[in-house]
Amino acid sequence: MSDAPLAVSARDLRRDYAMGDAPVHALQGVSLDVAAGDYAAIVGPSGCGKSTLLNLLGAIDRPTAGSVRIQGKPVESLSDREATRFRLLHIGFVFQRFYLMPALSAAENVELPMAEAGLSRAQRRARARELLRYVGLEARADHRPTQLSGGEQQRVAIARALANRPALLLCDEPTGELDAHTGAEIIALFERLNAGGTTIVVVTHDEELAAAARRVVHVKDGRILSDTRVR
Amino acid sequence: MGDRLVIRATPTGPADTVIVGAVVRASADPSEVARDEYRVLVHLDQLQSLIGYGDRVDRFAVATRDRAATGRAMAAINDAAFGFQAHRSRDIAVETSQTFLVVSRFHHAIGVITIVASAVFLLCIMLLKVDERRRDVAALRLMGISAATVLRSVVLEAAMVAVAGSALGVGLGAAISAAVNAHYRGVYRTPLAFSIVTPEVVGFSVALSLVLGVAAGFLAARRLTRVPPLALFGR
Repeated sequence: MSDAPLAVSARDLRRDYAMGDAPVHALQGVSLDVAAGDYAAIVGPSGCGKSTLLNLLGAIDRPTAGSVRIQGKPVESLSDREATRFRLLHIGFVFQRFYLMPALSAAENVELPMAEAGLSRAQRRARARELLRYVGLEARADHRPTQLSGGEQQRVAIARALANRPALLLCDEPTGELDAHTGAEIIALFERLNAGGTTIVVVTHDEELAAAARRVVHVKDGRILSDTRVR
Repeated sequence: MGDRLVIRATPTGPADTVIVGAVVRASADPSEVARDEYRVLVHLDQLQSLIGYGDRVDRFAVATRDRAATGRAMAAINDAAFGFQAHRSRDIAVETSQTFLVVSRFHHAIGVITIVASAVFLLCIMLLKVDERRRDVAALRLMGISAATVLRSVVLEAAMVAVAGSALGVGLGAAISAAVNAHYRGVYRTPLAFSIVTPEVVGFSVALSLVLGVAAGFLAARRLTRVPPLALFGR
């Protein structure tokens, strides 16, 4: 166990869904600590509850029971508006399908969370350029998403997720839409980010992405089966 | 000018020979624009002998330079009159314009109905467009973009569509209006304006389009922002 402060701490998480008459127990008492600077991959078969866990760790969903603390702050009791603001300022999300705004350029997409956070135009532009340079897309800053390849779009999405300097980067199948070569570039980018101190939790089926993480958490039937530190 | 003409009230009636003393261009009068006829001005006694009638006046219009004096003049005439009635010229003008007022209101109603129908169309388009973006909106909400920001941006987009549509509509309206006027002025040889795009009409149309467009955007966006982001993702 690392001595670093916890980026996120989940205790005895349970999440039930109503599906017809029978409730579905998506998570059945999951506890997980992720230290600041860690890089954890959550793996498991489809429907095992890993995305549900990610949603709870990211203050997107509320647990049926249990608690989640992000940087020490309990988030399960936040109102919808408070949770939205909290996500904006403390959590970065990377999705499988990028979800870049098609009418905006790459730089404007990166600026979007910063505009919502209230940063000045000059600050946003400078930070967006810095992040696009970091992900190797400075020259593509003015391109629309449709003018970018899948890998480039995902790198813009990662830059956008980092815009407000989040304490935690949550990624849901970030290489799911990419070919092996482009996926490898994204894996390398995550490694570089983590080496720079970014805390990353990634849900994936991609074995190469999971292998790149410092820690692999196996989830099955709503429970953590194993939690292995690999490096 | 100077030509001699033989005129009669009916083909078999008494005739009179007149000399053309002046040719008068008819003033622009909407009530007479479509009549295909000539107007001949003759002296009253000539007219009486031609048609075989005496004086037949049942009403006439009164206007005075001092508007306050019109009422007094009318009252004096009507006290002395027998078989006819004096009216304010403005009242007669209003009365004879009733048809045009009705037509004008009818056109106004058509315009309003068209704009409202366009707004309903815009609402449908906005609903479809916003629904197409439900996953994008869900991703934005998950990233921390507030429902208010999403709502504002959709409303702004709807307003811009409404403004662009209004500008296009006004431009198109002005062009069609000019074409209609050019055509019918040629057909009826009159300087009358058959179609007028006034600042009031433009202002009213743009304002109505904007209000309805913004309302359409607001309804479309609110429908989406009320749904939790995960539900928008279909989870």
